[in-house]
Amino acid sequence: MGVRRRSGTFLLQVNPILCDGFGHCAELAPELVTTDEWGYPIIVNEPVPLANAAAYESARYAERGCPRQALHIQRFSEKKPR
Amino acid sequence: MIAPNTLPRLMHGASDRPLSLSQHESTFGSSPLSTSLLEELEASGLTGRGGAGFPTAQKARLIREQRGHSKFMVVNAMEGEPASHKDQALLSANPHLVLDGAEYLASIIGANNIAICVARDNPTVVNHLERALHERSRRSLRGPRLELHTPPWRYVAGEESALIHWLDDNESLPQYRPRRPHILRIGHSPALVDNAETCANVGLIGRYGAAWYRGLGTPENPGTTLVSVTGAVDRPTVIEVELGTTLRSILRTAGADPDPLAILLGGYGGTWLHAKHLDTPYNNAALKNLGVATGAGVIVVVPQGACGVVETQRVVRWMANESARQCGPCAFGLPSLAEDLTHIAHASRDADTAYHRLLERCGVIEGRGACRHPDGVIRFIRTAIEAFAADFDTHRRGAACAGSRATRHYASVPSLEREDELVWE
Amino acid sequence: MIALTTPYLWYTTRATGIITLILFTMVVTLGTLVANRIGGTFVGRFEINELHRSLTMVAMTFLAIHILTTVLDSYVATGFISVVIPMTSQYKRVAVGIGAISFDLILAVWTSSLLKLRIPNTTWRFIHWFSWLGFATALVHGFMTGTDSRKGIGLVVVAVCAATVFVAALWRFFGRPTRAAGRTALSPLATSSGAPGAPSSPSAARPSRPAARPARPLVQSPPTPPSAPGVNPARPASPGQRPFPTSPNPKSKKGRS
Repeated sequence: MGVRRRSGTFLLQVNPILCDGFGHCAELAPELVTTDEWGYPIIVNEPVPLANAAAYESARYAERGCPRQALHIQRFSEKKPR
Repeated sequence: MIAPNTLPRLMHGASDRPLSLSQHESTFGSSPLSTSLLEELEASGLTGRGGAGFPTAQKARLIREQRGHSKFMVVNAMEGEPASHKDQALLSANPHLVLDGAEYLASIIGANNIAICVARDNPTVVNHLERALHERSRRSLRGPRLELHTPPWRYVAGEESALIHWLDDNESLPQYRPRRPHILRIGHSPALVDNAETCANVGLIGRYGAAWYRGLGTPENPGTTLVSVTGAVDRPTVIEVELGTTLRSILRTAGADPDPLAILLGGYGGTWLHAKHLDTPYNNAALKNLGVATGAGVIVVVPQGACGVVETQRVVRWMANESARQCGPCAFGLPSLAEDLTHIAHASRDADTAYHRLLERCGVIEGRGACRHPDGVIRFIRTAIEAFAADFDTHRRGAACAGSRATRHYASVPSLEREDELVWE
Repeated sequence: MIALTTPYLWYTTRATGIITLILFTMVVTLGTLVANRIGGTFVGRFEINELHRSLTMVAMTFLAIHILTTVLDSYVATGFISVVIPMTSQYKRVAVGIGAISFDLILAVWTSSLLKLRIPNTTWRFIHWFSWLGFATALVHGFMTGTDSRKGIGLVVVAVCAATVFVAALWRFFGRPTRAAGRTALSPLATSSGAPGAPSSPSAARPSRPAARPARPLVQSPPTPPSAPGVNPARPASPGQRPFPTSPNPKSKKGRS
């Protein structure tokens, strides 16, 4: 899938309208996502460095595994911190 | 021509009937200033009057820079805030000033369609607008097409993206906008949405220029604004004030209780302010230091002896029902906040646990909706806790204060026609 | 086309048919478990989802063998075309035709799921609903072609599969956990102009309203209080009369389930 980037950061974002509280993301990416008392995801708000390969892979699994495809990984290059 | 440095401006010539087109033109003068409307707008420093307070010229410039030959100018007169009556008052006094501003903005962005949106639940105002549009259509055939749209009134129906979604898809549902700035579109056409009062201000700036406009107000917040005063007043009033006037003097002019307990600024998604700050000037630069803002020009006055907890609880309960229910944190979270507030208001045994749970939930829900509705409610709750600290303390200790048994309430909340609209009960 | 005459093709068709039916029963049940948000404590919800997907692959393999052996077998006359186009088979036209309908539906669901990340989620969900119909037609096909399904163990298998999926369907439609948006009270009032759940309007500007009616007498508001210097009190607005729309809550276009 192309060159593995080690610089820059990523942020897992959820579209709260599409999200239906299935909770698969919290299982697939527990280091990034927890659920609130109603089952909806609370996602880490700060960008995570891409060098954290495990977290990135979890995020990819979560993005792919969401039944409503409500998740999106937003990547940021180093120059533009957000 | 209106003399500089005098009030009223927006409400100049207002009477029981709206000004007709010819009356409007004889009062205000006719043609716009020049072709450099955008520069005048930028120099004037006008900010939006719909609640967000975003610089109007910046917004217009952004839409102007978009590609597209069929752009829309949308006038937002939905007035979703129940405590706000200023847009109604403005449209009942002088709809043509609003329409002028809309036309100036349309010419800035290059739009050939103007959509004026007002709630269908207010037939008087709809009628005024229909008549005004009819007068204009009879006058000239050139210029952008003016259309009246009447979505049903709901709290979120006045939100920008919800209004655009109504125009696009017949449902007032706020949209998810992760990247700012986000260009709103009707179909593929970019749209500029501005509050009716903002458009009226543009109508003045377009005629008299930025220097005239800055004759009143403060350097950071120039001009005048309309304020709806409700609560402990003789009757609900809309007054036009110069930005920078103190809150105390605004209350005095409106005939409100001179010694209230606290006031609500901005709207039901706004901020409470304890009465000890009443000598603060009414403009965003000054209010920011206190953590409050003018918002949608709403002031609700709560007198001594009223119960701040009950006022808060009633509003939050209603606001929870006004959720669009698209996002879980808002749809489930706001009713839970209302429930916690009900426990506190009843001063039951678990009022203190409910209070802590309330604070915790506020932290959990904040920022997780697609629109800013839940954030507004949370801000409302947090500032209420600060402004009504005494009342909350009393209730937490399990003793309901005297005011909580009163039947008169000051933050008026529209009654639900059917109680089963409260989905969580 | 190769037409083989060994009876083992025929036996394979029947066997794989039964196996496919059992596998799809499991697939549909697992799908219902996913939709009703089962899991999270002992088994992960995403695991049930992945099992649902993997088992579908196995089922599709058996389905492919079932179809291939049917077509290649010369004992019964069915060509490739009758696999996808119903009612074109010589042998048991209706029964095989229903099987073809089932296969078409299952193929659509499967393909859309393979492309799930590339098509809009709403499209995928719309097609996915047809899996119920795909199973039902498969069941009918299995019973009607029924060399084995009319008696003995075959009948038991078909009955159990039917019962399982029937219960799953009841649970799916009536036992859903409450979600945030069962309704949006913000749809139009379902006035005469807007039908509930009407499809979206064209993106072009709406047609204009008819010309303004002649002016009605305006509501007279009370006289304005005397103005203080510097600040002008405008005429007071009427206290907010905001009747709530009597919305019968038409279902939102997003079609929550």
